[in-house]
Amino acid sequence: MKTDLKFEIAYPHSPEKVWRALTDPEAIAQWLMKNNFEARVGHRFQFQAPPRPGWDGVVKCEVLEVEPPRRLVYSWCGGNQNTTVAWTLEPAAEGTRLRLEHAGFRGLRGWMISRILGKGWGSKILKINIPALLSRWGGEGRVPDVPEAQCSHQ
Amino acid sequence: MRRRRRAAFPDTFAAVGDPTRRRVLDLLSRGEMPVRQIAAPFRMSRPAISQHLRILLDAGLVVVRRDGRERYYRLRARPLRQIHDWVAHYERFWQGKLKALGAYLDEEEKAKVRKR
Repeated sequence: MKTDLKFEIAYPHSPEKVWRALTDPEAIAQWLMKNNFEARVGHRFQFQAPPRPGWDGVVKCEVLEVEPPRRLVYSWCGGNQNTTVAWTLEPAAEGTRLRLEHAGFRGLRGWMISRILGKGWGSKILKINIPALLSRWGGEGRVPDVPEAQCSHQ
Repeated sequence: MRRRRRAAFPDTFAAVGDPTRRRVLDLLSRGEMPVRQIAAPFRMSRPAISQHLRILLDAGLVVVRRDGRERYYRLRARPLRQIHDWVAHYERFWQGKLKALGAYLDEEEKAKVRKR
């Protein structure tokens, strides 16, 4: 079982424009983070975010899929957690429908729902509005078409 | 078995990433238990269970108490909160970034129109 964070959003811009914003290093720096990205499978790059306590702010990545202007996948290895970020672009009436899947939060969703949020472990552990969060996570038991994150270069 | 750093956050993630260890945590949610009682529902050798307990211990998810020859384990759920916070962080992170991407695209469009 794997668990994803999933988002879907429409932009009033063509897929080509959105693709450029996702793949041009200077453009990426404008809205995401400083980086040395190249749209080439196997390219290893880094995102540099402002460091936080317990995290140096570096996300190590490797490009896994490039299919302009439809799909871009890279591994996302930060804070020792190996995950994968997948972008899928679809032409839509409004411009572009962009899907983002951040995968690799292994096995946690179903477990948290059934045990922590359920009767078992009780509210004493996580008194937060988790259902809202969990509703965004991927469906239980689903195997996403996102490859396994590789962090061998860390 | 490789010893892991105690209570380091990545270890928490690795610790609960394993279904057997999640079942152990579920068991311990009922209260403190000796190893033999923890091992009972599993088709696994006692050393194998002990190894899982070791990982949970190193991740700070359980605490152990010795009483004579028996070792008793108890749940310590606080590190799970960190996992939740980590995922929640990414939830907010991406929501913010997708909004920023939209703003960036709009800005680019406007800049192009001005250039014409």
